[in-house]
Amino acid sequence: MSENFPTIFSITEDEIDLNDLLAKITLTSTGAAAIFAGMVRGETKRGDAHQTEYLEYEAYIPMAEAKMKQVADEIRARWESIEGIAIVQRIGKLYPKTPTVLIACTAAHRDTGVFEAARYGIDRLKEIVPIWKKEVGPNGEEWVEGEYIPKAGE
Amino acid sequence: MNKIRLLFFATLRERAGTKALDLEIPADMTVRGLKEKLAAEYPNLRESMKSVLITINREYAFDEAVIPPNAEMALFPPVSGG
Repeated sequence: MSENFPTIFSITEDEIDLNDLLAKITLTSTGAAAIFAGMVRGETKRGDAHQTEYLEYEAYIPMAEAKMKQVADEIRARWESIEGIAIVQRIGKLYPKTPTVLIACTAAHRDTGVFEAARYGIDRLKEIVPIWKKEVGPNGEEWVEGEYIPKAGE
Repeated sequence: MNKIRLLFFATLRERAGTKALDLEIPADMTVRGLKEKLAAEYPNLRESMKSVLITINREYAFDEAVIPPNAEMALFPPVSGG
């Protein structure tokens, strides 16, 4: 039953510890984990090519954690196969190559939708979880703004 | 009148020049009414009111919603986490 499956969600200023998170969402029945990690990209080539010195993240922490829980609930509603879920966002001043976000889902087998579940998790985080980043580069600083407008009930 | 607390994040925080603001508003004020009040009283926020996201008690709220007493509200741009 999903009530017994671990769900971890947090906003942290500390380094993201993948091994620790993976251990917490691995059960004796688990045989697969899909992990998405995002990191600070120092050199962007796609679109408007530019360099990034660092990103500064901020969050509306209590709401962000509640919305992460909602994303986890949505994942479980779509993929019954999912066992554990970890959703972690690091905030503060973060430099290129530093992991900033981690979404991990576990399941008994790899062909259960576990890859799609992790993909859904990061996509939804970028839509509804209240976190923002300011990009600082050689030409100054700029807030990155998303495009998604949440709908009623989201 | 109802007491409410507004929290500002990202560009809205910088334009407001503060992280939080306590206000007293009429009991029947809607989200739209609050946006109009802020645009009128805080010129730095006027431009932001067109695309701002607003939450009431940590849930997204829309123009027609009536603001409850003691609401914790937040104003911020579309999110960009990850």
